[in-house]
Amino acid sequence: MLRVSNTAVAFLALAASLWAQDSAPVDQRTVALLVEQVKALQQETSDLREKVKKLEADRPTAPSAVAASATVAPQPPQPTAEATPAESSPELAAAMHDLHGIQWRGFGELDYQALDQRQPELGTYGFVPGSAANFYTGDFDLFLHSRLTERTSVLADISFEEGDAQSYKLDLRQALLKYEMNEHLKISFGRYQTDIGYYNSAFRSAAWLQTTADRPLIMEYASNGGLLPTQAVGVSLTGAIPSGRLGLNYIAEYGTSDTIRPDLNGAGTFNDENDGNHVLVGWFARPDWAPGLQLGGSFFHDKISDSEVSLADRFGQTILNSYVVYIAHGIESLNEVFLIRETQLATGTVSNMPAFYSQISRRWGRVRPFVRYQYINASRRNTIFNDVGLRAGPSFGARYDFNDYVAFKAQLDHTQRQALPDLNGLHLQVAFTF
Amino acid sequence: MNGRSISFLLVTFLASLAFIPTAAAQKDLAVVVNPGNPIANVSLGELRKLFNGEKRSWPGGMGVKLIVRSPGNRERTALLQFLNLSETDYKQHWTALVVRGEADTEPFAAPSIGMVLEAVRALPGAISLVYVGDLKPGVKVIKIDGLLPGAPGYLLR
Repeated sequence: MLRVSNTAVAFLALAASLWAQDSAPVDQRTVALLVEQVKALQQETSDLREKVKKLEADRPTAPSAVAASATVAPQPPQPTAEATPAESSPELAAAMHDLHGIQWRGFGELDYQALDQRQPELGTYGFVPGSAANFYTGDFDLFLHSRLTERTSVLADISFEEGDAQSYKLDLRQALLKYEMNEHLKISFGRYQTDIGYYNSAFRSAAWLQTTADRPLIMEYASNGGLLPTQAVGVSLTGAIPSGRLGLNYIAEYGTSDTIRPDLNGAGTFNDENDGNHVLVGWFARPDWAPGLQLGGSFFHDKISDSEVSLADRFGQTILNSYVVYIAHGIESLNEVFLIRETQLATGTVSNMPAFYSQISRRWGRVRPFVRYQYINASRRNTIFNDVGLRAGPSFGARYDFNDYVAFKAQLDHTQRQALPDLNGLHLQVAFTF
Repeated sequence: MNGRSISFLLVTFLASLAFIPTAAAQKDLAVVVNPGNPIANVSLGELRKLFNGEKRSWPGGMGVKLIVRSPGNRERTALLQFLNLSETDYKQHWTALVVRGEADTEPFAAPSIGMVLEAVRALPGAISLVYVGDLKPGVKVIKIDGLLPGAPGYLLR
């Protein structure tokens, strides 16, 4: 800016001189006035220079905008070749220190849920089956992350989940030792969230991260009635596939999920699936040409049983998933489709159970209204998911972010259930992070 | 039109010419890295992946250290526009990355340009956005799709 000011002063001086060459006696006062103005501008420039020098002397690492402009030529800068010695300020050093210790983040929630009938329903997260309405605290999560070396880190998700009679269950939802060889190979060992669908890997168990007050039923944790093996112990690999602007990545998992899921009828019965070792292979793409778009899919296979019938009766379980997600410009659009295929190994009986959910929301300032529709059609002949049956219906609501740490969500649900009355619900939630 | 008017118009025109290239170049956002980083050029797509945490290492394996301005600053606003995210969505995005173990921490948010430049000088894998008018020696400006700030067609501003 000072350079511009000098130029302007020079031009003003030039103007004054040109003006003077065409002078008439009556313009002498104008010339004198211009000269005065030029002198005043020169004095102002000099004063500003003094101030800049003083500021630079006081804070050599944080120059003012005026000083910065004064030292930069209007031409595009060329890359510099030499490094200067690092002279870290205490503030910067403190900030950099955080990159090395244990990073932890907490999430909590307070929920109020009301149903329009006392027909028992999913009785998890502290919601009392058969109750018309009650409060509960859902999950209280502590996420810990620590970088051990440049390529090795540890990740854990410790969850305190409210159960019956306000008891709390401790669940180590994730405990992973991660090794990043390069962009193309990242290996994790331990208990992980399976990459069976976008939602499970994107939102983990933090209600604050979700737009809606709850997870879609198909993506609910298996320990809370969800249909999919959402967690497993084993090894997980992922990485980028050289694919140019397509941004292709692969996923491969081999592990044991050992899923136990409660029946959705609130009867307090559980089904231990006694899973074998599952294989999951998947892919996702984040194309450069469509920022915010993510496409993906996965194939999962395992062998499970129905403990409520016979542990010896094994089923081959294959789960196919594909999704399209777009998050940008304030819009969040999540769309996933599943096909759960279970084959009774002894008889060859096959059950195909399709499911999908579609959720769209848009942020307007602090408010993000959302709409979600979900559909599950579990075969009544399948003994493992016969408590689910056909369930479908919309959810409407909005999320309001008070600040960067606290959000309030209000959600209305309508669920059509096969052989049961439709269920209407109100779900209010305060979700927070710390 | 007398000579006085002509000289006034001439001065005004010349003054505006002197001002234009300076203002245009200074509106460009330069992508700066540590001088020890051999990278010289990134595509716009790669730059977006660097700043939204999807790309976490440089060629050769060195980890990327993102340095951003703290909320409310013009470089932060430009970054959010570049990523098509609001401030709230940006923070949620980074919290999700940390929770998923895809990032160690949210990017270091520097309260001043001086601290941004200092961090880029100090950290080998650092990258940040700095307006051309705020550049200082000791950092390396890299090209975006083959263009330096100030060049015709440069997209980051």
